[in-house]
Amino acid sequence: MSTHLIAFFTLREALRRRVVLAAALLTLGYLVLYGVGVWFGYRDLQNTPGGPPGLTEGVVSLMLVGGLWSLNFIASVLAVFLSVGALSGELDQGTLHAIAARPVRRSEIVLGKFVGFTLMLAVFIGVSASLMILIVAVITGEVVGASWSGPFLMLLASMLLIGLALAGSSRLSPLPNGVIVFTLYSTALIGGVIEQIGDVLESAVMFNIGVFSSVLIPTRAIWDMASAQLATGGFAGELSAGPFGASNPPSGWMLLIAGLHLALALGFAVRSFSRRDF
Amino acid sequence: MSDPIAIGLAGVSKRYASTLAVDDVTLSVAHGEIFGFLGPNGAGKSTIVKMILGLTYPTAGQIEVLGQPAGSLAARAEVGYLPETFRFHDWLTASELLHFHARLARVDASLRADRVRELLELVGLKDRADDRLSTFSKGMMQRVGLAQSLVGAPRLVILDEPTSALDPIGRRDVRDRIRELGEQGVTVFLNSHLLSEVEQVCDRVAIIDHGAIVAEGKLDELLSAQEIEIRAGEGAEAAVREAVGESSVRSIDGRLRVRVADDGEIAMLVRRIVEAEVPLYDVRHVGDSLEDLFVRVAERGDV
Ligand SMILES: Nc1ncnc2c1ncn2[C@@H]1O[C@H](COP(=O)(O)OP(=O)(O)O)[C@@H](O)[C@H]1O
Ligand SMILES: [Mg+2]
Repeated sequence: MSTHLIAFFTLREALRRRVVLAAALLTLGYLVLYGVGVWFGYRDLQNTPGGPPGLTEGVVSLMLVGGLWSLNFIASVLAVFLSVGALSGELDQGTLHAIAARPVRRSEIVLGKFVGFTLMLAVFIGVSASLMILIVAVITGEVVGASWSGPFLMLLASMLLIGLALAGSSRLSPLPNGVIVFTLYSTALIGGVIEQIGDVLESAVMFNIGVFSSVLIPTRAIWDMASAQLATGGFAGELSAGPFGASNPPSGWMLLIAGLHLALALGFAVRSFSRRDF
Repeated sequence: MSDPIAIGLAGVSKRYASTLAVDDVTLSVAHGEIFGFLGPNGAGKSTIVKMILGLTYPTAGQIEVLGQPAGSLAARAEVGYLPETFRFHDWLTASELLHFHARLARVDASLRADRVRELLELVGLKDRADDRLSTFSKGMMQRVGLAQSLVGAPRLVILDEPTSALDPIGRRDVRDRIRELGEQGVTVFLNSHLLSEVEQVCDRVAIIDHGAIVAEGKLDELLSAQEIEIRAGEGAEAAVREAVGESSVRSIDGRLRVRVADDGEIAMLVRRIVEAEVPLYDVRHVGDSLEDLFVRVAERGDV
């Protein structure tokens, strides 16, 4: 089995590529800005007298969920960016020929890359989300969002995108593949907005469009689950509804759908890449 | 080693959407042989090599490599390959590339460091071992590619145009490496569009043009061979193919083009056709001798 060799190779490549370094630096800069924002926001909140009980906790939770939402977005972009040309792009460049001629299965190449990118994203999400939770905790003294399931769900959303991008990359060149994956990703985002509006307007059609988009690509629905996990305390549930989350988070079924989605995408990627001529 | 054949192709064809890249090729390479595969650009050499490695799938026919189906892990474990494009991940250093391939080739951990050092020395890149490949010239890249192909101590080495980016000295070095491999009993399959390259190292060659083998044999025999054209009744083709072997016979517009070694073989063919009770209308020499063919191929390839 050579999956782990390909996985570590992929991870090493990602770490050595300048884009990843750039993404890390940008994220670090973003975290600094975020910290400043939280600091001022929290100070203003403290200077506001009165308000219902639990307001502080709720607002802090909202700030965290908003911050994590943007990290989730960066992670999604990174996931697609890394994997969108992982198969066909390398085939076109000719860098995969010598490797694929070794006693390595095509499935090991596909799965190795999947594992490598997933590890990459796990490091990215793990480090940046922890830092963010830490920043909020240090500034506000409120420990919110300190649950494992939130970051894990964020990782799951990125894994879905990696699987999808790899499936596309088994046949399509990087540019059209990237366009398709981002289009699907946007469909899920827009579907989420339509679903929320449909919920408010009690329009079954709009609501179902949203649900359908989540089944098509569950990235946004998985984020909604994550944000529900992260937003704790007081009336955070209501506050986190809006741009960063759904008023009623998807049920556990969504996990099953996501798992199915991932399995299908990887299955397709392996099958299609295995049959491809180099 | 019980199987004397290192590479065997039987009726292999490859059709891409609009082109027939490889047309019914039957070929065998013996263990320990240095086999030259000669043909102009676009003849189908790289496609055949990729099918032998299981990187590309034939649309017809069977391929066996070292007694295993082409592309099987067992076959690949003992094969080294230098791709025509010799492109590798250029964020690696030369040494890292070889280490990675040594792992993929399942080289024992205790042997890897020595093997990598020896091979970098062999291809003259010892001093650049720890430099990133992104700083390498094309020639250096091709040499590190050659080292990469040898890192698993393969029994069969497949080199696709291994000197395309090298200067005359580099080409001579590669020829020396190929001869050394031959002396060690390693089978070498050398793709080239250069007659000069092939004729200096190869035991046996095949010439491919437009996806089909047009000649095959020991180099000196091929050079002294001649081609005749036979016009005869139905059944002649089978008799002739049986007499001289599939690869020496082509059928063109119902006439048979046969490559023969000498006049004795022509007489033998005529006898066979008569014995088969097939009417024989015409036997004549045709202009396209093998040497002409070589020259034609080489001229087209050398531009
Ligand atoms: N992936 C491909 N898709 C379509 N046609 C191809 C592909 N690869 C090779 N060909 C065609 O097959 C023929 C043989 O190509 P190739 O095997 O590369 O020749 P050679 O190595 O002898 O130069 C050429 O006509 C080439 O255009
Ligand atoms: Mg070629």
